[in-house]
Amino acid sequence: MTLNNHNPMEPYLGRVVGIRELGAEIKLFSVRLLNGGQEAFKSCRPGQFAFLSAFGIGEAPFGVASTTERGDVLDFAIQRLGSVTTGLHELGEGDILGVRGPLGNCFPMESFKGKDIIVLGGGIGGAPLRPVIQTVLDHRSDYGRFTILWAARHPSLLVFTDEYEEWRNAPDTQLHLTVDVPDPKWDHNVGLITDLLEKVAPSPINSVTITCGPPIMIHFVNKMLVEQLGFKPEQNYVTLEARMHCGIGKCGRCNLGEKLVCVDGPVFNMQEVGNFLESFL
Amino acid sequence: MYEPKIIAYLCTWCSYTGADTAGIARLKSPANFRSIRVPCSGRVSPELIMRSFDQGADGVLVLGCHIGECHYDSGNHRTAKRIPVLKALLEFTGLEPERLRLDWVSASEGERFSRIVTEFTETVRRLGPNPWRVENQTYPYKPVFTQMFREETQAQFNLQELLASAQAMRDTARELLSSGQVSCVIGYETTPRNRTRPVFIYHPEEVDRLVWNQDCTHNLTTYLNHILQPIPNKSDPNRHQKIAVVVKPCDERAINIHLAEKRYERELVHLIGMVCQGILEQPHSSGKTITERTQTLQDRCQECAQRSPRIADTVIGNEQLNINPSPTSQQRPKWIDEVKGMSPIERMEFWLRQFDRCIRCYACRQACPVCDCPTCLYERDDSLWVGPSLGWEGIGLNEKRSFHLGRAYHLAGRCIGCDECERACPMEIPISFLNQRVAEEVAALFGYQAGLTPKPTPFVTALSGEEVVP
Amino acid sequence: MSLKSNPPASVRFISREHLALWLDQIAAHMLLIAPRDVDGFVLYRKANSAADIFWDYSRPVMPIKDALFPPTERLFTIEKHGQDVRIIQSEPPPEQVLFGVRPCDAHGLQALDALFISTDPINTYYAQRREKSVLIGLACKEMLQSCFCTSMGSAPDDPRYLDILLEEVVGGYLVQTVSEKGAALQERFPMITNPFFGERVKKDWSKIHAVLDYPPLDAWRLSFNDPYWDAVSEICLSCRACAYVCPTCRCFDVRDEPLTYQAGTQTYERIRCWDSCAGEAYRRIAGGHNPRPEKGQRLKNRFYCKFYYFPLQYGPAACTGCGRCIDVCPAGVDITEVLQHMAQEVSVEVA
Repeated sequence: MTLNNHNPMEPYLGRVVGIRELGAEIKLFSVRLLNGGQEAFKSCRPGQFAFLSAFGIGEAPFGVASTTERGDVLDFAIQRLGSVTTGLHELGEGDILGVRGPLGNCFPMESFKGKDIIVLGGGIGGAPLRPVIQTVLDHRSDYGRFTILWAARHPSLLVFTDEYEEWRNAPDTQLHLTVDVPDPKWDHNVGLITDLLEKVAPSPINSVTITCGPPIMIHFVNKMLVEQLGFKPEQNYVTLEARMHCGIGKCGRCNLGEKLVCVDGPVFNMQEVGNFLESFL
Repeated sequence: MYEPKIIAYLCTWCSYTGADTAGIARLKSPANFRSIRVPCSGRVSPELIMRSFDQGADGVLVLGCHIGECHYDSGNHRTAKRIPVLKALLEFTGLEPERLRLDWVSASEGERFSRIVTEFTETVRRLGPNPWRVENQTYPYKPVFTQMFREETQAQFNLQELLASAQAMRDTARELLSSGQVSCVIGYETTPRNRTRPVFIYHPEEVDRLVWNQDCTHNLTTYLNHILQPIPNKSDPNRHQKIAVVVKPCDERAINIHLAEKRYERELVHLIGMVCQGILEQPHSSGKTITERTQTLQDRCQECAQRSPRIADTVIGNEQLNINPSPTSQQRPKWIDEVKGMSPIERMEFWLRQFDRCIRCYACRQACPVCDCPTCLYERDDSLWVGPSLGWEGIGLNEKRSFHLGRAYHLAGRCIGCDECERACPMEIPISFLNQRVAEEVAALFGYQAGLTPKPTPFVTALSGEEVVP
Repeated sequence: MSLKSNPPASVRFISREHLALWLDQIAAHMLLIAPRDVDGFVLYRKANSAADIFWDYSRPVMPIKDALFPPTERLFTIEKHGQDVRIIQSEPPPEQVLFGVRPCDAHGLQALDALFISTDPINTYYAQRREKSVLIGLACKEMLQSCFCTSMGSAPDDPRYLDILLEEVVGGYLVQTVSEKGAALQERFPMITNPFFGERVKKDWSKIHAVLDYPPLDAWRLSFNDPYWDAVSEICLSCRACAYVCPTCRCFDVRDEPLTYQAGTQTYERIRCWDSCAGEAYRRIAGGHNPRPEKGQRLKNRFYCKFYYFPLQYGPAACTGCGRCIDVCPAGVDITEVLQHMAQEVSVEVA
């Protein structure tokens, strides 16, 4: 049984202590956990996720978008897409939501130490990568060169724009931005993240990549990394999204072949993904 | 004193203002109604009305613009057609029809508004509290209708004719495939368990798997929708190649519905129509000790008057042969009449007992050749129409009922009576009764029978000149 | 050929009348779930006394799974008052005696136990119900045409997985107490039994009903991209009947439903309800991407889950050979044909 006999299906309560507009229909919620949740989330590592409840509507999984090292307020970036996200978007400061977790595995940040790190985020897929970025920036000397490739369909869908300065100013850190469809004010790259990746052409020597975005982006990014840039699949880490309803390996909905995204993932390297019986695409 | 709860759906362009007019003129209206403003009375779907009753409304009033005055031209025509059919369906399942009223009130008719609301409130008050809402699942397991009477008449088959038809059908299928006229033939095969099931044949050498017998019960036109409608992102060119499908005269009617609703072009389908001697009742696992299978014709077959295909491209069998007596020759008592003869409360209990067995597997919907909205209303946003849990037997009975009545209503003027829903149901819920009752009402109101021509059902079109306004 | 054997010492005889009395006693003190005739259908329902029980049944339409993993279950209640939210735990489930359980259904619970109880974290809802349930089995007298429990390592009179097994003989039943739970129930409600001196005919089921070849795990791994899966699923209608009548299928969905609104407090319940991998939206993610849009992929997942994923993840196969899915499938998909195909596949590859 889990810690303290806590029913794994029962959420902790959390109070919304901050809401920031991140982009079109994307909000960043800062949540302070109330009943025992703080204790449970102390162990939360980059890459893990949690189920958020919009009480009265339901719950859905979201990547935790902050590191616990920066304080015990948890951030979640939420794009309004379905009923639960709509319910969450209706919450205001001071409102209560449910938080269940931390769930899933995490990025092996320890084993990344001393290596060059390339982070590729697409749209709202940038959210679970933020704790990775924060961890690398907070322990900058532990890691090698740091490259961030940040993409979205449209400038309004780029997340964490107000943190770009912090990222850029860190030593030996580069941030590259691209959008598919620019607006008149846009003065960065235009095109798919793979175009940007081809241009930046990071070296595969002693480095790892971390990608999160739509399945099709993960597919093509990995293809380019392996086929054109000389990366081995096991150097490329991804965090996969799947429909799930329990997060604890019971409901059976998130299976990819014999693997369950919720307990065996959501973080995998592409070698593992390649060995799955079933395609994530 | 009992005060009825009334939900009034008011069209924003007329009756909603009409209510204001009544108020300004200080006309008395009872305080029993809660009004819900809608953009058009045509927007009041049956689900909203049923949901109102489910949640405890004693009466539902729908007020729209007078015919000819609709802000959206024909929105209220639809209302005028829908509500009577819904009323019939609700009555059939145990609700007094007087609890649902449709009327027309313009913005200036404050007096009319006040009169209708007062009248309706009095009507509902006389009827008393609505028993429709199911608060818990303590329905007594007292038998209302335990043994549905079945006519155990032995069906007569001309086996020689069946065998000859089977051979002719295989020859046709082989010819169609080898000449490249069709890419696939959907027919029937016999399983290793000696049951009959659908099969897809792609090569002439596989044609011998095809059979034609008294157990060919499936309506194979159901598959056409899936095959001929390409799934987004999967643009397999073969999806648009011509398909041959083996049809019984009853199955064939689904094609007309598909064509009326522009699902695919007629040229994409080659119909191999079989002259039908009737299909036998299929064995069903009820959990009781296994019984010998009977030689009884299915209900629909006992009432079937159409034994020869009408629109098939190839007709197979002897159309002169009439082996099982036609329904006109014998007066069969009908189950549906038995249900109609019950008191409202008996009908309600009867249907709740039936719906109680539902396990929401959606087999009825999936097997139906015309029930194929891209996303079912009852599954939108992944709603599994579960409703509140009520003990270990689970799913809310209100929700089960809404699904079945909603589905029957959505099939108004579209159900061809193939009874696939009922056959597919693992719980043998008599879904066909609901469909038959709706079809009766559509026939009475519009003189229309579904599937005879490739024209859309009058149920979804504007009123034509001669159609009556309630 | 029948094997004649002397019953083990723990087997005793109970007359019909005494069994009925015993069940009446249980029903008076505990929740008794037993096969009942509901409008011509045999279903497991609450029985108020032995008189409610329908005895002459073959295989109830729904498995006993419902009593431990109900179609919908309240996880907890949520009270919302302004900005305040309170979570109220559900009442613990009652003690229940499940009577007339078929060995195949009990076998199915073993698969659910492996997933819900033996694999961390525990599904507390299932575990509580399981702990508070006593399973009284009734051996099948015969196998239905669609039954294949003997191919799945069980038998119509398999006592394992049950707490007490009853077997019909002339005038009454043989009682075999299998587990401590079964013994405890008999201690609480003493049974009037006698030693059994008759001759017990042990059937050799493998002679009565053909045992199918069972494919090894490797067969599944190697056949994932076999076009067979598209062919076998062509007739599938993507309904969920097979999953809902299955004694082991367990996929679920979680959602909130409104209950009441009173004095500014809105109450909701969070419920868990059954789901099935056959549904089109099963794997669709926010934004619309669906890794399993084709029904062939979904039906394949069902068979892989049963015979490959489940054994790899939790140990046992998620199929007990009850044959219900074969009988309810409106299109005639037959799981035994799939098993036989897979078994043959391997023999061909080995050759």
